[in-house]
Amino acid sequence: MKGVVFVELLAMAEDAFGEDVVDAVIDKADLAHGGAYTAVGNYPCAELVKIVDAFSDHSGLSPDLLQRKFGHWMMGFFAQHYPAFFENKSSSFEMLEAVDQEIHVEVLKLYPDAELPRFETDRTGEGQLQMVYSSPRPLVSFCHGLIEACVERFDETAEIAIEATPAQNNSTTFRIDITGR
Amino acid sequence: MASEQDDRVSRSRYEREKAARKEAEALLEGKSRELFLANQSLSQQSEILERTVTERTSELRIALDKAEAASAMRARFIATMSHEIRTPLGGLLGMIDLMYGDETDPARRELLEYAKTSGDALKRIVNDVLDFSKMEAGAFQFENEKVDIRALIGGVLALAAASMPDGESRLRSSISPTVPPIFAGDATRIRQVLSNLVSNAARYSADGQIELRAFASEHEKGALLRVEIEDQGIGISAEQQKNLFKDFTQVPNKLTSAAQGTGLGLAISRRIIEGADGRIGVFSEPGVGSTFWFELPVEVLEACPPSKGEGKARLRDVKARVEGARILLAEDNKINQKLLLTFLKRMNVSAELAENGREAVEKFAPGKYDLVLMDVAMPEMDGLEATRIIRDSWPAEKIPPIVVLTAHVLDAIHEDSARVGIDRVLSKPITFGDLRDAISEELGAHGNPDHHTPRQFGARPAIFAHLSNPILEGLIESMSENEVIALVEEFVIDARRLLAAITANLRRGESEAAAAEAHALKGMSGLIGALGVSELAGQLEQSAAYLDADSIEEVIDALSGQVDTLDRALSASIE
Repeated sequence: MKGVVFVELLAMAEDAFGEDVVDAVIDKADLAHGGAYTAVGNYPCAELVKIVDAFSDHSGLSPDLLQRKFGHWMMGFFAQHYPAFFENKSSSFEMLEAVDQEIHVEVLKLYPDAELPRFETDRTGEGQLQMVYSSPRPLVSFCHGLIEACVERFDETAEIAIEATPAQNNSTTFRIDITGR
Repeated sequence: MASEQDDRVSRSRYEREKAARKEAEALLEGKSRELFLANQSLSQQSEILERTVTERTSELRIALDKAEAASAMRARFIATMSHEIRTPLGGLLGMIDLMYGDETDPARRELLEYAKTSGDALKRIVNDVLDFSKMEAGAFQFENEKVDIRALIGGVLALAAASMPDGESRLRSSISPTVPPIFAGDATRIRQVLSNLVSNAARYSADGQIELRAFASEHEKGALLRVEIEDQGIGISAEQQKNLFKDFTQVPNKLTSAAQGTGLGLAISRRIIEGADGRIGVFSEPGVGSTFWFELPVEVLEACPPSKGEGKARLRDVKARVEGARILLAEDNKINQKLLLTFLKRMNVSAELAENGREAVEKFAPGKYDLVLMDVAMPEMDGLEATRIIRDSWPAEKIPPIVVLTAHVLDAIHEDSARVGIDRVLSKPITFGDLRDAISEELGAHGNPDHHTPRQFGARPAIFAHLSNPILEGLIESMSENEVIALVEEFVIDARRLLAAITANLRRGESEAAAAEAHALKGMSGLIGALGVSELAGQLEQSAAYLDADSIEEVIDALSGQVDTLDRALSASIE
């Protein structure tokens, strides 16, 4: 997992709970890297889950909720640091469709060995998008948060249904229905 | 107070470090991107390069195909031109010949002689140019055949002598015993170089000896043949020597003002010799003479005869095996009959003669003979047909070994022989020793040992100097000297008869009959070791169909000259 995710997760935690809490939680969580991450590094995903669980313990918020909130945070981070991806996009669907087709292509240029999840999209009807997320990592709620934040960023509202993709392990289907813009 | 503060950094310092790290990470990503782009452009370039190489390769292939097609067309053109020019030229020269023969007015005869000289010069030029074009077109191929350089030199000198007023006395040759009797090479091309060098020597020297020398030394391929042709002519200056072997160059010749040719002769010779991995060159001093030489690495097929004393033990075994064998000999030619029967008699073999293939089939019965010796070309039924009938009539285990004798060197004979079930093919001329070895090998080991006493020789008869040494030795091993002389006498009579027949047939335009007679002459002369005659007869056999009357007459004259020489030597031997 790319280091930027860890860096931003800790940044979000600092923003939400303060530096002292983050320091305390990291000390307690017994992390292999002692909680020091760089955006250009790679770290095991299990460590990310461990950090989320630690903050969940500390705050009483569920890990799923924390992941969702982190999804929102990351969308803001992306918009701030990689505005080029957001130019020429007029809707959340266009943005979501670009994840596999544009963004991951660029990521691979910088990190040829990056293990990226797959996002297959299919417009199933007017204002309807089906997005199948396939990854061995248990980050469904994080994706959910990203999708929600994406819809908001394009000033849209939507209903998002989540279900396991039939007959396919490590895969989740998001059904997005735009309800207003 | 200070110690409490020491483990904490200030906010601004923390922010600075954080910013620096972000910048470092951004820099790294930037560099990664640059690296990726550089890599991408590199692989693009390599792709372009690869594509260009593929395109160029295919362009070159097309160009090569075109060039090859053009070259093939040129070769075809040359082949056609060769025929188209030579045919009318032959007709022209023939007509001049006929007119010359009928003309009685001396003035007109002189004019016709000029026409003939010019025609000959033209023919030589056409041949040179065609050879040269063939080389240029890459259509020049080297044959790999058995070359008997002694016979070849004999033939070339005999032809040269016939075309020079005092040729007999001016031409000399010495061939070192180190020169292998038979080696692999292109006889036609070697002959061409030899006759070119010899005719140059004749053309550029008014008188004085022309000496041809041949030696051989060791070489990784077998032997290095070196031939030198020395004349006492006008010589060549150092300046002229530089360009001598280049295309279309000539040394000015004050000796004759007649047409000299194209200046291609030496260029062609150089290409021939260099094409066969050899070297050619000249030493010369103006006013003193020139020595042209060439060196050719050759593969030795038959080594120089071993020194005396070797192979005695083996000889006894071979002799023992052959003695007492019953052999059926099918041979129509009288001289060959006599020679082979004498050979067989000397081997203590009981031989029965069949005059042709049909008679051989009639005489043959299982158990009657231990071996059959069969000539190929015989009237009524040839040796191959006779062999086939014998093979078809009797079970294989009842048929003794069948050995054929042939003067043909063609592979086709070997193939045919294998098909009809011939055990071995022997090439004429065959020596006593070779025949005995072959019979012995075919018969397998049995018989009684025999003690061989080497024969002592007195002074050798003069005729022996004119016969090939290995063949002569074979003859003497089986016959008395007088028997050999008698054989040569018979040969001279037969050769004269054949030459007359050849001439008559050629006049009638029956070139096939003439070629058959030339073949017979070649075989006969080979058997007795008159290799000069054999070589010329071979040339005649091959070229009877397409040579013009003039050239054929030259060869026949040379042949007659050789036969006359033998005859004179015979007279000297008998006295």
